[in-house]
Amino acid sequence: MSWIAIGALAVVGVGIPLGMMAASALLRPSVPEQGKSATYESGEIPTGTARSFKFNIQYYMVALLFVVFDIETVLVFPWAVIYSDAVEVVGITRALGPMLLFIGILLIGLVWAWRNGAVSWTKSPRATRRKTERGDA
Amino acid sequence: MDPTVVTTAALQSQLPEWTALGPVIVLGLTGLLLLTIDAIWPKRNANTTYAIVSAAGAIIALGITVWYLVAGTGQETHGGAITLFSEAIVVDGMALFFTAIFTSVAALVIVASHDYLKGHENSAEFYSLLMFATTGMALMAVSNSLVTVFVSLEMASLPSYALVGFLKKDRGSVEASLKYFLIGALSSAVFLFGISLIYAVTGSLLLTEISAQFADGGVAGFAGVAGIGVLMIAGGFAYKTASVPFHFWAPEAYEGAPAPVSAFLSSASKAAGFVVAFRVFAEAFMPLLEVTPAIDWALAFAVLAVLTMVVGNFAAATQENVKRMLAYSSIGHAGYALIGLAALTAGGPHNGDVMGAAMAHLLIYGFMNTGAFLFIAMVEYWGVGRTFEDYAGLSQKAPLACVAMAVFMFSLAGLPVFGGFFSKYALFASAVSAGFWWLAAVGAVTSALSLYYYSRVVKAIWIEEPNGNLDVIESKPTGLYAAIIFAAVATVLLLPGFPIALETAEAAASALFA
Amino acid sequence: MVAAFDFVPAIVLLPFVSFLIALFAGKYMPKGGALAGIAATAGSLLLSIWVAISLLGVSGERIHQETIYTWATGIGDQPWELTFGVLIDPLSALMLIIVTLIATLVHVFSLGYMNDEGETGLPRYYAGLGLFTASMLGFVVADNLLMAFMFFELVGLCSFLLIGFWFRRDGPPSAAKKAFLVTRFGDYFFLIGVVAVFATFGTAQFAGPESFPVLAEQAVAGDTSVVNTTFGLEPTQWFTIVGLLVLGGVVGKSAQFPLHTWLPDAMQGPTPVSALIHAATMVAAGVYLVARMYGFYAVSPTALAIIAFIGGFTALFAATMGVVKREIKQVLAYSTISQYGYMMLALGAGSYVAATFHLMTHAFFKALLFLGAGAVIIAMHHNENMWDMGGLKDKMPVTYATFLAGSLALAGIFPFSGFWSKDEILYEAFIYGLNDPLLLGGWVMGLLAVPITAFYTFRMVFLTFHGEPRSETARNPHGFGWNVKGPLSVLGVLAVVAGFINMVPVQKLTGIELDFLTQYLDSGGEGLTYSGYNALLAEYGGYEAGVVGTEVTTLLIAAGLSLGLAVTGLLVAFKLYNVPEPVEHTAKLGQVKDVLYNNYYQDEFQVWIAHRTQSVAAVADKFDQGVIDGVVNGVSSVSLFGGRRMRKLQTGLVTNYAALLTLGLTALLLAFGLLGGWFV
Repeated sequence: MSWIAIGALAVVGVGIPLGMMAASALLRPSVPEQGKSATYESGEIPTGTARSFKFNIQYYMVALLFVVFDIETVLVFPWAVIYSDAVEVVGITRALGPMLLFIGILLIGLVWAWRNGAVSWTKSPRATRRKTERGDA
Repeated sequence: MDPTVVTTAALQSQLPEWTALGPVIVLGLTGLLLLTIDAIWPKRNANTTYAIVSAAGAIIALGITVWYLVAGTGQETHGGAITLFSEAIVVDGMALFFTAIFTSVAALVIVASHDYLKGHENSAEFYSLLMFATTGMALMAVSNSLVTVFVSLEMASLPSYALVGFLKKDRGSVEASLKYFLIGALSSAVFLFGISLIYAVTGSLLLTEISAQFADGGVAGFAGVAGIGVLMIAGGFAYKTASVPFHFWAPEAYEGAPAPVSAFLSSASKAAGFVVAFRVFAEAFMPLLEVTPAIDWALAFAVLAVLTMVVGNFAAATQENVKRMLAYSSIGHAGYALIGLAALTAGGPHNGDVMGAAMAHLLIYGFMNTGAFLFIAMVEYWGVGRTFEDYAGLSQKAPLACVAMAVFMFSLAGLPVFGGFFSKYALFASAVSAGFWWLAAVGAVTSALSLYYYSRVVKAIWIEEPNGNLDVIESKPTGLYAAIIFAAVATVLLLPGFPIALETAEAAASALFA
Repeated sequence: MVAAFDFVPAIVLLPFVSFLIALFAGKYMPKGGALAGIAATAGSLLLSIWVAISLLGVSGERIHQETIYTWATGIGDQPWELTFGVLIDPLSALMLIIVTLIATLVHVFSLGYMNDEGETGLPRYYAGLGLFTASMLGFVVADNLLMAFMFFELVGLCSFLLIGFWFRRDGPPSAAKKAFLVTRFGDYFFLIGVVAVFATFGTAQFAGPESFPVLAEQAVAGDTSVVNTTFGLEPTQWFTIVGLLVLGGVVGKSAQFPLHTWLPDAMQGPTPVSALIHAATMVAAGVYLVARMYGFYAVSPTALAIIAFIGGFTALFAATMGVVKREIKQVLAYSTISQYGYMMLALGAGSYVAATFHLMTHAFFKALLFLGAGAVIIAMHHNENMWDMGGLKDKMPVTYATFLAGSLALAGIFPFSGFWSKDEILYEAFIYGLNDPLLLGGWVMGLLAVPITAFYTFRMVFLTFHGEPRSETARNPHGFGWNVKGPLSVLGVLAVVAGFINMVPVQKLTGIELDFLTQYLDSGGEGLTYSGYNALLAEYGGYEAGVVGTEVTTLLIAAGLSLGLAVTGLLVAFKLYNVPEPVEHTAKLGQVKDVLYNNYYQDEFQVWIAHRTQSVAAVADKFDQGVIDGVVNGVSSVSLFGGRRMRKLQTGLVTNYAALLTLGLTALLLAFGLLGGWFV
C-alpha cells in the first residue's frame, strides 16, 4: 500500500510540468523569431559551433590534481580532529602510520605527475601556431 | 600430507595475520615502485626495466598466492578464513584461487606487452596501470563488505579505462575507452544504488551481517527494496563480467584496446567480476532464496546466463574480425561461468560443486583466452590484418604459435582432450546433478555452435593458403612468443592437473556454503 | 613363472608393429613389408596356440581377465572406469587362433597374389593387412564393450582402406565407401547401445561378477537395484532394446539382411583381403560380438528370436542370389552372407557352441575357397567370369583338390567340416524350434537354403574346373608358386578335418565322447560357459528342447534331412553343369533370374528409397541435418540471422547502449518484481 503514495507522487511530479507546458502551448501566441531560437550566452552574440569549443587539456590535469588533494584534505581533517584521542587508545604507530602511508602514496603520484609534466602549462599546437602566425604578420 | 607441505604450512602459520594480504600488497607496491622509477628518471624509455619489475611483482604475488594455497592459509584445513580490518577483508581459498588467476594472467600480459610497447612512450604508465588494476582485482577477491567490493571494483575499473585508451593516437582505442568509461559509470551508479538499498534493508554492509539479517528476519516487508537492490547489484556484476544486457561495452572495448589489454580485461577482469559476485551472492544473499516472498536471484542469473550464452555465441558466429569474434566468444564464456551462480539452490548439496566447476572453468579460461588474445596481439604487432582472410596461412610463418592458437581455439570450444573440455564438462555435469539440465543443454548447444567459429580460425591459419600479405612478418617477438607458448603449455598441463584444480576450487567454493 | 597370458597383449601388438614397419619402412624392405607381416602374424599364431593350450591345463586359469590401462575414470558419484583390458577364455582363445591362422596364410598367399603380380603400393597393402589383423585381434581380446566398439570401428576403417586399395580404378573406392557407410549405419545403433549399456549398468565388462551380463541376469531375476532402466520399462523389455541396438552393429558388420548390400561390392578389393574379411575378421566380428556377450542376450529371448529369424532369412535369401552369379567371387560373397546367416540362426536358437563351431569351420573353408578363387583369378589373368573358365582341374590340380574340399565343406557334405557344424546348427534350431514358431521358421529357411547352397557351390566348381575350357586364357592358365599352393594345402586339410573336433551326432549315436569343442567352450570361467548360457536360456528364455520320437530319431531326421537336401542340390548342379559345354540354364528361370541377378533389386531399392521417396529420405535427412548437424549447422544459420540482429543491436552509439542496458535492467526488475510479488 505504501507504494501508492510513491506512485501518486510520480504522477503528480510528471503531470505538473507536462500540464503547464501543455497549457502554455495552448494559450500563447506563436511568433517565431531568430533571437528566440539563438543560444543564450549572457547577452554575447554566439560565434562558431558548440562542438569546436575546446578547453586546453591542461585545465583537466590541474583540476584532477586539485580534486585528489581536495578529497585528501577532507579525509585528513577528521583524522586530525581525533588524532590525540586516537593516539591514547591505539598508540602512535597505529594512529599515524596509515595516514602517512596514505599521504605517501599520494605523494608518489604527485611527484610522478609533476616529473612527467602534468603541471607545466603546455600550449596547444593550434594556439602555438596561431601565435607564430601573428608574429609573422 | 608430504613433509614439504607441512614445513611450508608451519612457516606460513607463524606469519602475522596481515601477511595474508601479501599478494595484494606486493602488487600495489610494484605499481608504486614503477611510478617511483619513472619519477626519478622520467622521459627515459626503459621499457625493459619496467617490464621486468612488473613481471617480477606479478610473479612474486603469484608465488605467494600459490604458497598460501598449498599451505592452506585461510582454508578449512587451517582454521578457516582469515578476516582483517573489522571483517571488511577476508582471505580464504576462493580469494587465493582467483588471485592466482589474476596474477598469472597479469604476468603473461606483461611479458607479452614488452614487445607490443616497444618504441612506445610512457610505458611506465602502462605497466603501473596494469599493476594497479591487478591490485584492484586481488582486492575484489578478498572483499567482504559491500564498501570494499565497490571501492575495489572501481579500483580495478579506472585503470582499465585508461588501459583501453592507451593508444592515444588510435581513434578506435580512444573511442572504446570512452564508451567503456561511460557504460562503466552508468553501471557503477546502478551498483551503488543497489548497495544503498541493501543497506537500507539490513543496516549493514558486511556480507556476513547482511546474511545473518536476512536469515533472521527475512525481508520483513521490504521485499521490493531488497529485491531491487539485489538485482541492481547483480547488474553491477553483470557489467564487470560482460554479461548480457550489460555487455555492450565489451566487444568495442576488446576490439579497440591494445590486444594485450583485451587479453587482460577479458580474462582477469571477468574473473574478478565473478569472484566478487560469487562471494556476495553465496555469502550475503543465500538466505534470500528461502524467504517469502522469494527473491530468486538464482533464476535471474539463469536468465542472464542463457541470454549471455546465446547472444555471445551467436554474435561471435557472424563476425569477420577475429578480435571481435574473440570478444563475443568471451561474452559467451561469461554465460558458462554464470551457471556457477544460476544453478545454486537454497541448501542444495551440489552448490559447492557447481560454483567450484565455474571457478575451475574460469581458471582454464584465463589461460586459453589470454593466449588467444596474445596471439591476436602478435598478429597486430606484425600488422597483418584483422579478418579471418588476413589470417590465412599464418602457420607457414609461425608454426609454433599457430599450434598454440589451435590449442586455444579447440580448448575454448571445449573439444575433448583439451582443458576446456574438462572444465565445461565438469560445469555442465554439476549443473545437471543440481537439477539444472536445461542450463547445461543450452551450454552444450552453444558450445557446439562455438566450434564453428573457433574452427574458422584454425582453418584460416592452418589450411588456407596465404594471400600474400604475410611478407610484412619480419621478426618474431620473443616476449609475445614466450607468453603465448607458456599459455598453451599451461592450457595443456591443466589437463592432467585439472582434477587438482577442480578439487581446490570445489573445496574453496564449498567453504562459502558451509 | 612366465604365463602364456602375459603375452596376450603381444598377440595384438605384433601385427600392429608389422603395420608400422610396413607403413614407414615398407618401401625399403624386400617384398614391401610382407615378411614382417608374415613373421608377426605367425608369431601371434604361436602365442595364440600357447594361450589356448594353457587354458586346457589342469591347474591353469580357465579364464584370464586383466585390465591393462584405465584411460578415464568418472568424477563425482559416477565411478565409471573406461579401460582397456584383455579377456581370455576358450571362446576368445579359439577366435585368436582362427584369426591369426587365416591372417598368416593370407599374408603368405599375398606374396603370390600381389608381389608376384607386380602390384604397386605394396607397403600400403601390407600396412593395411597388419592393422586389420591387429584391430581384429584387439576386438577379440577386448574385455569390455567400449573397447570392443573401438576396435570394431578400427576393423571397419581397415576394411575401407583395403577394399579401396586400387583407388585409381572406378569400382573399388565406391565399394569401399559403400562398405564403410553401410556398416557405419549399423554402428550408430551399436554406439547408442554401448552408451545404453553404460547408462544401464555403469559398466561394460564382459566377464566377472560386476559385468553387465551378470547384472542383467540379476535384474531379470528381480534385483532391479543394480541397473538404471530408462523410460520406466521392465528390465527385460529394456534389455531387449539394448540388445537390438548392439545388434545393429552386428547386422552391419556380419552383413545380415538388410545391411548386407555392402559385402558383394566389397569383392572389388584384392582377393586375399576378401578372404580375410570373409573368413576371419570383419564379417566374423559381428557374430563373435554376439557370442562374446551371449550372457546378456540369453536373458532376452525376444532379441534372440529376432536374431534367429534374421539369420535364417539371410541364409536363404543370400543363397538364392548366389545361384545366378557369373563371377566366381560374387558367388562366394553371397555364400558368406548366407553362412553367417546360419551362425546368427545358431545364436538365436541358443546354440552358442554350434555358432562358434560353424564360425571356425567356415573360417577355414571360406578362406580356402577365396584363396582358391584367388589362385584361379591369377591363372585367368584376373578374369573373374566363370563362363570364361572351365576345364581348369587338369591344369591346376592342387587348387582343384583343395577347392573341391572347401566346396564339399561349404555344401555340407558328410564328412567334411561344414557338414558337422551346419548339421549341429540345424539340429539345435530344430529341437528348440519345436517349441517356438519363430525359431522353427528360421530352421525351415535354413533348411531350404541347404540344397541351394550345395547347388550354387557345385555350379561354381563345375563351371570353373570341369568341362572344356571356354576361353583362350583358360586353355593356357598363368602359373603360380608355392606361396599360393602352401596356404591352400593347409586350409584344404583343415576344411576336411576341422569338423572332427565336435562330432556331436556321432557321440549321441555311439556314446563315445567326441564333443571336444563343446567341452572346451564349456571349460571357461564363471558365467561364460556353454552350460551356464543354457541354464540362463532355460530359465529366462523358456528354451526347451523338443523331440520327434526319441532323441536319436530326432537327430537322424535332422541330419538326414540336411544331408539329403545337400546331396540333392549337388546332384542337380552335377546334372546341369558337369557337361563339356555347359549352357546358362538360368534363362529358364525367366523373370526370376533377372530378379535374382539383380539381388532382388535391393541396391536399386535402396537407391529408389534414396531418390524417389523424397519424403522418407527428407525426414531422415531432416533428422540428421536438423537434429544432429542442426545443433551446429542449423543453429549456425539461425545464428547468422540472429547474429546479424545482434550486430544491429551493437550500433556503436554509446547512448543506445546505455538505453538498452537500462531497459534490460528495468525489464529484469519488473519481471522479477511482479513474479516475486515484491510490490505488494
